[in-house]
Amino acid sequence: MLQVKDSMAREVTTLSPGDTAGDALALCRERRIRHLPVLERGSLVGIVSDRDLRSATPAFGDTARASALAEVRVGDVMAREVITAEPDDPIDEAANTMRERRINCLPVLEGGNLVGIVTSSDVMESLVYLLGAHEPGSRMEVVVPDRPGTLAGVAGLIGELGINIISVVTGPRLEGEPPSRVAIFRVDTINSSHAADILEKAGYAVLWPPRP
Amino acid sequence: MTGKAAIVHDTGLESYGFGGEHPFNPLRLRLTLELCEDLGLLEDHPLTPSGPATDEDLTTVHSLTYVRMVQQAGVGSALLSDLLAYGIGNGDNPVFPDMHAACARVVGGVLEASRLVARGDATHAMCISGGLHHALRSQASGFCVYNDAGVAIARLKQERPGIRVAYVDTDAHHGDGVQWMFYEDPDVLTVSIHESGRYLFPGTGTVEEKGSGEGKGYAVNVPLQPFTDDDSFISAFEAVVPEVLRAFKPDLILSQNGCDGHKLDPLTHLSATTRLYEHVPARMHDLAHELCEGRWVATGGGGYDIWRVVPRAWGALWASVSHQELPEKVPEGWLEKWGAKSPVGLPRLMRDDPAEYPSGTRAAEISDKNRRTAEEVIEKALPLIR
Repeated sequence: MLQVKDSMAREVTTLSPGDTAGDALALCRERRIRHLPVLERGSLVGIVSDRDLRSATPAFGDTARASALAEVRVGDVMAREVITAEPDDPIDEAANTMRERRINCLPVLEGGNLVGIVTSSDVMESLVYLLGAHEPGSRMEVVVPDRPGTLAGVAGLIGELGINIISVVTGPRLEGEPPSRVAIFRVDTINSSHAADILEKAGYAVLWPPRP
Repeated sequence: MTGKAAIVHDTGLESYGFGGEHPFNPLRLRLTLELCEDLGLLEDHPLTPSGPATDEDLTTVHSLTYVRMVQQAGVGSALLSDLLAYGIGNGDNPVFPDMHAACARVVGGVLEASRLVARGDATHAMCISGGLHHALRSQASGFCVYNDAGVAIARLKQERPGIRVAYVDTDAHHGDGVQWMFYEDPDVLTVSIHESGRYLFPGTGTVEEKGSGEGKGYAVNVPLQPFTDDDSFISAFEAVVPEVLRAFKPDLILSQNGCDGHKLDPLTHLSATTRLYEHVPARMHDLAHELCEGRWVATGGGGYDIWRVVPRAWGALWASVSHQELPEKVPEGWLEKWGAKSPVGLPRLMRDDPAEYPSGTRAAEISDKNRRTAEEVIEKALPLIR
């Protein structure tokens, strides 16, 4: 789970460099996609987005539009330097690449062959699954001192209450000394207040649910 | 407004509970019924008995495998590891003896109430043990094993083809189970006003959940900010519920009247008082008369301050269902009997004193956010309802 191959689309709509901008835009509309890898003799040679195509052709209403759509070739407007991913890459790495390079999709190559495409929406979806936000549960935020064993301590107390942990993520807490982390749990209980009471009695600071 | 009111209850409905220190405690039903009795609100209304729901009833919305699991759990013939996959045997929904029988009785009570109203034997009916709105098709969830409203609506649809049912849920938690059961059904409108799921169980109930397929537009959700008070809750209710119900034109209204949005409730973070729990039933009552000749079925739901909140909130509900004035004072007899057993001081008046519930410092900001949420709901939901 949480690898590119789990989130990517395996059926990829592709173009050839010789296709016209008009055909390419029609494909985007029909299939409701925004990024099209460009293949030449089976090899990935570029990528083009609906935005690239639009900015390379005159706007709606311009009389020159129709002829431009038929004349401009995908090979003229595509980006030739394509940033790609591999199926076994962790999804967080793909997300980080998209963030750093400010792009919204990565073609996925395996042994040089195009096997899929992963977009920022796919990353969002895996985030939702990762956090368990689609399953019934309550969110709890607990401050955990930044040292070994504290997360296990909190999780152990939750487990003793017969509460299943759906997901847990931790991140640095920006305030307070000494440095600590906040653990965000998604737990399958309607009664998170009871769990919060137990955690507070054991000395943990609970940020949510609020305490009376 | 007139119409015959029925109350479906018997002590068999008080066996649904998880025992020990578990917050879902059926004693709240006893406290409510005895309060209604001591207030004189049951004088002309004998309790209507009901039987258990059958397997055929339950499998209208639950899988047979799940029903069998609950049956085996209750007699101790299932493995805990198997039950956990069905949401049974964890901290929220522990196994209790004869749990299938107890749960099927609750469904039977709400089925009886809805049939009384659909047949016209009563104009309004209340079954206060119902309202177990989190139960899913094959999973117990949030103290709910079988989904009584889900079964009642599914049966009404079978018995009266073409019937349109509006389900209105004002429990502090999102009415997820009922919503998912009818998510693609344009004949069942589910409306849930609840504390935002951002932090609170079950986490769902965003404005964007609107139903799908044929049912698109027939799920309406109004997530409110934590610490929402009476004024803001009532404004959101008034902005959304009458309009969507009028657009939908139901033949019957089923309301889930959880009262866990009260400020004293230990499980949620809303800040309502008894004023909300008088307002909501009064308006459901009005709308039922305006839109569907009074046909209204009311159930209970969540409510975990069982001493100070639940009996008064549901006493007010029954007064509304049965067209009776709500007395001002909590009867001395009731206070004497239960005061000794209660771990907290019991209120002496049926209505909370607003002076004891001052506005929070963020009330204006919260109410502003809720108003925008209600506007967004109306803008997005109303055009989809036909």
